[in-house]
Amino acid sequence: MDLQFTPEQEAFRAEIRAWLAENLERTWTEETRDPAHDADSLVELRRAWQRKLHEAGYIGMGWPEEWGGRGAGEVEQAILEAELYAHDAPLIPNFLGISLLGPALIHHGTEEQRRRFIPKMLSCDEIWCQGFSEPGSGSDLASLRMRAERDGDDWRIYGQKVWTTFGPWADWIFVLARTDPDDRYGGISFFLVPLDQPGVEMRPLKQITGESEFGEVFLDGAVAKSEHLVGALGEGWKIAMTVLGYERGAAALRYPAEFGRQIECLTSVVAERGGLDSDDVREKLGRLVVENEVMQANGLRTLANLEAGLPPGPESSIEKIFWSEFHQRLTDVALDLLGPQGQLATGAPQALAGVDWAYQYLWSRAGTIYSGTSEIQRNIIAKRALRMPTS
Amino acid sequence: MRFELDEDRALLKTSTRELLEKEAALADTRAIMEETPEGYSKALYAQLGELGYPALLLPEDQGGMGAVAFAAVLEEMGRVALPGPFLDLAVAARVLAGCDGAEAEAWRQRAAAGEALVVLARNEDPGCADPGEPATRCSDGRVSGSKTFVPFGAHADALLVETCDGLALVERPGAGWNATPLETLDHAQRFAEIELDGPGVLVADPARAAELLAEAGRLAALGASALLLGLMERAQEMTLAYTTERQAFGVPIGSFQTLQHRCADMMLQTESTRSAVYRAAWAEECRPEEAAYLVAVAKAWAGPAGRFVCGQAIQLFGGVGFTWEYDPHIYLKRVKTLEQFHGSTRTQTAAALSLSIKQGD
Repeated sequence: MDLQFTPEQEAFRAEIRAWLAENLERTWTEETRDPAHDADSLVELRRAWQRKLHEAGYIGMGWPEEWGGRGAGEVEQAILEAELYAHDAPLIPNFLGISLLGPALIHHGTEEQRRRFIPKMLSCDEIWCQGFSEPGSGSDLASLRMRAERDGDDWRIYGQKVWTTFGPWADWIFVLARTDPDDRYGGISFFLVPLDQPGVEMRPLKQITGESEFGEVFLDGAVAKSEHLVGALGEGWKIAMTVLGYERGAAALRYPAEFGRQIECLTSVVAERGGLDSDDVREKLGRLVVENEVMQANGLRTLANLEAGLPPGPESSIEKIFWSEFHQRLTDVALDLLGPQGQLATGAPQALAGVDWAYQYLWSRAGTIYSGTSEIQRNIIAKRALRMPTS
Repeated sequence: MRFELDEDRALLKTSTRELLEKEAALADTRAIMEETPEGYSKALYAQLGELGYPALLLPEDQGGMGAVAFAAVLEEMGRVALPGPFLDLAVAARVLAGCDGAEAEAWRQRAAAGEALVVLARNEDPGCADPGEPATRCSDGRVSGSKTFVPFGAHADALLVETCDGLALVERPGAGWNATPLETLDHAQRFAEIELDGPGVLVADPARAAELLAEAGRLAALGASALLLGLMERAQEMTLAYTTERQAFGVPIGSFQTLQHRCADMMLQTESTRSAVYRAAWAEECRPEEAAYLVAVAKAWAGPAGRFVCGQAIQLFGGVGFTWEYDPHIYLKRVKTLEQFHGSTRTQTAAALSLSIKQGD
């Protein structure tokens, strides 16, 4: 066993910390509290932040050098993520493009597609949104109904996508659309569609947090050029499923870093109020510390197994269930311990420093639903890892 | 980075599994637990002694192999729900190695070879699983006081008694201990109350005793967490086998989504315990400054996780899970006992919090 980072990896962490000290002027929480900001200016701020990260060589680090990466290992990527979250840095607008579309193009795209799309995705000159889910197709994604019809050499796309994060600000969308109604998996293809064209309607959706960070998009004969089909016709499902499995380790240390920061903020407020004298309070806070540290242990194990080249097991489903359900427990405890002050809205001048607890409390409801609900993750564990019988 | 065991430790783990599957099959274990006063196989413990198992926590030149090997062995012992005082003995041998004097050294050798059973006697208050300040005294070569929940105390050859004057070594008197066995929910854990009023020798002064007991507490917590891991692992396997074989409504019950989700949760708890336990064991060897914190995390997590997994095992077995005949109850009982001792969940959770605050500073 060896759970130690190498001196090179530790040096990389130090480099990131130094870079953040130099470049991250205000935390994301501070930015969102600034009354001078609105939704648009926050997206622009995120765009500028991604550009900065890109110029420093921190975006798409795991990609080949040719495509703007540095061929970094999973551990370096995990360290970068952990530091960004521990420092409450803004989220980059192209996170879905970088984590899903980039690998799809690198592994399944054409040279032409890579040249055309990757540089602007990295620099955030173009923002991408993801078009997988539909109103009738969430967990059962393969039932999707958006269809692509031939129009000469090109394609016309018809249908609706939903939960398109950053959709209202996006320039392009990558969609899964049906090219054969009779073949459940083999009838799905992967298209790149520009959003600034006739036949596209993007509607923001107001979330339970009050923001409209995601939206729904209606395509009614919007054009996807023939050269914007990724992979072969009918390979869309396969590509989507493969890219969802890439960079398994990149997020391994992200959530313990993010929630660790939140737990520290919570603990220091409680300590200032003298709350640590209560056994009950200490037990609740202690339980949060324990669960977060166990999540970190899981993450380190995932990284170690990736480095050792072991085949993937159930760890990504375990990780997903763990962090998303833990975030709900964490914010439940926080609002309980903080009293009414924990309910103050983002931007309220009386709000506690460091974390917008009411926002986190609401936001934590999303994690157990997106990217495969907790129920789907449990199905995956039962079927793939435990090999339980099918009825 | 590497999470897997290295070759030597992996080999130790495999050979331990083979030995225990042969010599400590549950059917035999049940007979021994139910029919012998001491509740464990003395023959198997003698064999474990000959093979050097109780010496695992000693320095390398005395047969030790380190905390990771220790965790791997205890995980295997947990899998078969091995009854008896192995954990207590291995920890006592380690404490003896840090004590002063020829007596301590002699008992250390006998304990490490499995020739004598030595255990720590700490608790005095039956209302509190975590030992408090002792009232027991050791002066002028006499130890007097009363200890409770001494693990396998009635059958021990010697006790390492925590007193307010330091750590005292007390040999079993010729007439035997003045011990009252305590019947508890896990009949494979034989606790006793012991009245002490006889000769004993001080083997560590209060300051040294505090150091040794802190270290012993940490190692015992690590060992208990590893036992919990093994218990959970096996309870999960039994449950999966049962839900595959047992039919209802014409299909295996394991095909029902509700049961599948329960099993997925069992796996989440079990695998997370594995991550936490081995990380703590690794820290004990390679990151001593983090060991106390990571062991507290592992034990605080493993107790409730074990209770959950073994509780689910009974639930998924259904009615037969509530019978004496089927095995899940053995696991449920053992995890509850282990959760309370070697740092209860409440104590370890509080320790994790205060150590995390210290580490943050």
